[in-house]
Amino acid sequence: MTPKLYQQIAPLLTPTVDADGNALPITPEQVVNFGMMVPQNKHLALAQLLKEAGYSIYVTVVASHWEEQTVKGKSAPDPEHFEVATVVRHPGPGATTTFSWRVRLEVGESIDSLVSLYAGADWQEREQYDLVGVRFDNHPDLRRLMMPEDWPGHPLRRDYAIDTSHFPWR
Amino acid sequence: MSIAMPSPFVADPYLDIDDYDSDADLMVLNLGPQHPSTHGVFRIKLILDGEIIIKAISYPGYLHRGVEKLCEKLNYAMITPIVDKNDYISPMINEQAINMAFESLMGVEVPRRGRWIRTILAEMQRVASHLIALGTFAMDLGGAIGGGASLFMYMFRDRELILDCFEELTGCRFHYNTHIAGGQRHDLPEGWSEKVKTALAQITQHLEDCKQLVVENPIFADRTKGVGVITQQLALELGLQGPIARASGVDMDLRRDAPYHCYDEVKVNVVTESSGDTWARFMVRLREAQESIRIATEMVDGVPVGPIFAGKVVKTAIAIKIKEGQSYVAVESPRGELGTYLIAGGPKGISPYRLKIRPPSLHAISAIPYILPGNNVSDAIAILGSLDPVMGEVDR
Repeated sequence: MTPKLYQQIAPLLTPTVDADGNALPITPEQVVNFGMMVPQNKHLALAQLLKEAGYSIYVTVVASHWEEQTVKGKSAPDPEHFEVATVVRHPGPGATTTFSWRVRLEVGESIDSLVSLYAGADWQEREQYDLVGVRFDNHPDLRRLMMPEDWPGHPLRRDYAIDTSHFPWR
Repeated sequence: MSIAMPSPFVADPYLDIDDYDSDADLMVLNLGPQHPSTHGVFRIKLILDGEIIIKAISYPGYLHRGVEKLCEKLNYAMITPIVDKNDYISPMINEQAINMAFESLMGVEVPRRGRWIRTILAEMQRVASHLIALGTFAMDLGGAIGGGASLFMYMFRDRELILDCFEELTGCRFHYNTHIAGGQRHDLPEGWSEKVKTALAQITQHLEDCKQLVVENPIFADRTKGVGVITQQLALELGLQGPIARASGVDMDLRRDAPYHCYDEVKVNVVTESSGDTWARFMVRLREAQESIRIATEMVDGVPVGPIFAGKVVKTAIAIKIKEGQSYVAVESPRGELGTYLIAGGPKGISPYRLKIRPPSLHAISAIPYILPGNNVSDAIAILGSLDPVMGEVDR
């Protein structure tokens, strides 16, 4: 990553918080693949920035469901939430050509769709909506992709048991 | 030959049929789910005006088996045989992709001999996969075009030569389960390299016959040239990779751009075409198969000496543990970028928390709403065949 791109990306990241609740400055170590947390409202802006910087190929989107769990050293448990990771690629020679960031979504929140920037995001986002149940705002055609349209629930959530029986659908 | 539309027809994947010409006599045609040209079970709802497609709505998911959910419950060593069945035309490369993701989080580096063997296996698998793609594509165009059905049989015959080599190495014709996080299970048997070279030399010869049979056939050229054009811009927008993107002039190959295995030690010539039609996709696969034969033949002689496995040999299924971390690892499969996004941290660290496979075929068939409209129904089959999707991988 070029220093100029780093200067542009750093303000978009979610800052870490110290014990008193004050935001700490972003360090270069935080701008790494798979470690970058971005707030939900900066998601589209970051994608726009990266596309202009040459990351023109949309690789994949991964939504994951996290149940309420206790955190070491904290009294309050981490509430149930979702995480959406996006990977884009810079075409051409180079060792680290992918770029990835994560967005945390509380229950009931939705995330901006990237279809307006990358047409290839269409089916990928439909799949994640279908299997995990994360809603994508401004998606032109948000239907289920894999499961039947009247399927109950979203199979890739952690609380969706693998041995749940379902009525044969066709 | 395709009939030209009266005005320059721009395919709109989100076309609302109510906005289309109200006088037109529209017809709905279901292509699939049980249709040989879909290479699996895949349904496309075609809306036709006369014989011209104006909208194509795809319905994948008939082969959805919940592989990603299943992987959350299995131990790391148990996942390899499951992903074999995703892209059943090139299981070797699927195994490599998933195990490379595990290795990236385990911090294990496979010894050079192991990586070298992986490279040879990947290239041979690519040849086998492209042979099937060429054969089934010729078959899709219709056996009667002078070589379609014959080519199909010849290609399967040649693929058998490669499967014989794999059988000698692993004991299986496909679904090998020969890769494991950290290296290889099976070392090369005595005299294997001679057998591989003989097989690849035979296939080289047969590919020349294939050229005479099909490529120099004027009917084949008429059916494929200028049909189903994917422009370079569309290929980039849709995130297409692999032979489909390279046929549209996108000069991109992960083997050269982001080398893994031993690809940094060999020269990989990236094959590109510029026209982006079904003809170009066929030619890219044909020339890529020849290129892969060259690489495999070159490498099979110089296999380095050393261990094939890093560290202790895994004896129990729970021996592989990954506590936490996220990573995305991609390899160049015969269909494009096959990626694995792994979120580790399942119970006790013996299974993934979430595993996402990025199948290249899903991106390939997401081009259908863009390239089918404006074409004849008969051309739809040619276009579908040229995309070479594997539905087991799309639906997972």
